[in-house]
Amino acid sequence: MNEFLSTMAKEDRLTYELSMLYKQWGYKEYRMAKFEEYSFYSDNRDFLSSNNILAFNNSDGRLMALKPDITLSIVKNAKLTDALTKLYYNESVFRMTESSNDFKEIKQTGVEVLGKIDSYLITEVLSLAAKSLKTIDSNFILSVSHMAFIPSLLAEMKISENAKKELITCIKGKNLHDLNNICKRCGVDDSKTELLSKLANINGKLLQTLPELISLASNDEMKKACDELEYIATALSSSDIADKLYIDLSVLSNIEYYNGIIFQGYVEKAPKAVLSGGRYDKLAAKLRENTQAIGFAVYLDNLNLYYRQEKEFDSDILILFNSDGGGVSLHSLVESFIEKGFSVRVEHNIPEGYKAKNIYSFDNGVLREVTSC
Amino acid sequence: MLNIALPKGRLGDKVYELFASIGYDCSEIYSDNRKLVFENKENGVRYLLVKPSDVAIYIAHGAADIGVVGKDILEEGNFDIYELLDLNLGKCNMCVAAPNDYIEDFDRPLRVATKFVNIAKNYYISLNREIEIIKLNGSIEIAPILGLSDVIVDIVESGKTLEENNLRVYEKIMPISARLIANKSSYKFKSDDIDTLMEKLKKELAK
Repeated sequence: MNEFLSTMAKEDRLTYELSMLYKQWGYKEYRMAKFEEYSFYSDNRDFLSSNNILAFNNSDGRLMALKPDITLSIVKNAKLTDALTKLYYNESVFRMTESSNDFKEIKQTGVEVLGKIDSYLITEVLSLAAKSLKTIDSNFILSVSHMAFIPSLLAEMKISENAKKELITCIKGKNLHDLNNICKRCGVDDSKTELLSKLANINGKLLQTLPELISLASNDEMKKACDELEYIATALSSSDIADKLYIDLSVLSNIEYYNGIIFQGYVEKAPKAVLSGGRYDKLAAKLRENTQAIGFAVYLDNLNLYYRQEKEFDSDILILFNSDGGGVSLHSLVESFIEKGFSVRVEHNIPEGYKAKNIYSFDNGVLREVTSC
Repeated sequence: MLNIALPKGRLGDKVYELFASIGYDCSEIYSDNRKLVFENKENGVRYLLVKPSDVAIYIAHGAADIGVVGKDILEEGNFDIYELLDLNLGKCNMCVAAPNDYIEDFDRPLRVATKFVNIAKNYYISLNREIEIIKLNGSIEIAPILGLSDVIVDIVESGKTLEENNLRVYEKIMPISARLIANKSSYKFKSDDIDTLMEKLKKELAK
């Protein structure tokens, strides 16, 4: 089985391995239809990463959308009970891509937990996110942030919403020079500007950086967040992923939907984050009563590009045969090879660039090894 | 190995001098050839010389780890990158310029000729002014002279080109200078190398 997995494309192998991981942790697979009513997504447009939704009319004239997002649909439709709802999914989303300015089907897998979220569950989801990244590449980093820090500090500043937006852009880009200029222009206290700069710039391993963050916590919200991070750090301290968790408060999500822990995952060969998630009680509360939620998505598209599988051979055996030379016994011969565990391709000519461990010719019932091609 | 994308041209030369002065030299870069990639294994740098407007694209796609680019290009595009440092090099201003005798007419949309479509759009949105954009790729100064546009939005360094074409700065939009940028993923995995380079740069710039 493992040998078979190693020959699969990265995306396909990951879909399988991640599903296994989530199942082991007791998560149930959730499947859904490819489309849903357009109005549902247009009502929650701010939550979507892009404003464009691929829509069409169904047979009774209703306007439908090809799913641009999975989380929204799960939060709205998943059956909730007194127990926690722990789900994972492998689905496609349809989004506008920046590069081609056209819609693209993007494979996504992810985890969502709905119910009463506590520190243990946050730790479990964070640990699953780290293990998901490890499945992609052992050299990974999970950047952990908390919505209690920068958003709460910005809320204390008496500046316009536009200025706040400009500051958020600077923070996301670790652009401290422009951040300082904007704060100066808007008359923000020097002490608050300094704290904002420090928080935006903080970047280090969770265990080692937490004391610094605790010393910077200036309000109750931040202090509570530090307690939460401390719980996670202690719970994961002996785990092999502890070293891969970094504090990076420049990771920010939409404040209308997210609260608490948020995170983004990076693997060495991909230039962009391949995982993102967090706690979204505010979105959950909008769609379901008394529900809290946390989850993450892994973006599997493009991973084949960054993790190109260099195959030594396309198949173990290539059999060249000429129809005129008779092939009555060829099928049973191929089957016997396959039963022995070889991969076999039958061809009339060698396909361009094809690499096989052994090449044979089959002529009049006789199999001969071809030494040169 | 740090992959550094530099803009070909005057700014790139200045930036290379700066990087070389803090220990990231790569003398091969001076050899007179058409190579675009230069490497110095000893100090762990590889320089890529690319078109100035492409630097941020290389960085965003991870083809280079860090690079230097004008703020105008960052403002015009929307790149998911880190902007780590203002190098205070290549200083100039993004301006609205108009003929010397220009008087703005507020009862019709303003015709704006520019290479920087997004910067111009965003600026006039902030003023709630209706505009009509004429996208040009060069010799922008000619547009108002020929009556193609009322004003232009462009980079002004010394103001000499404007002066020679009977134009003047009408409004300043923003100051521009060279910025050190980094790919987000590279910055995570090579943060020690990049932070060291940044610290050295800061020290050198403060001199």
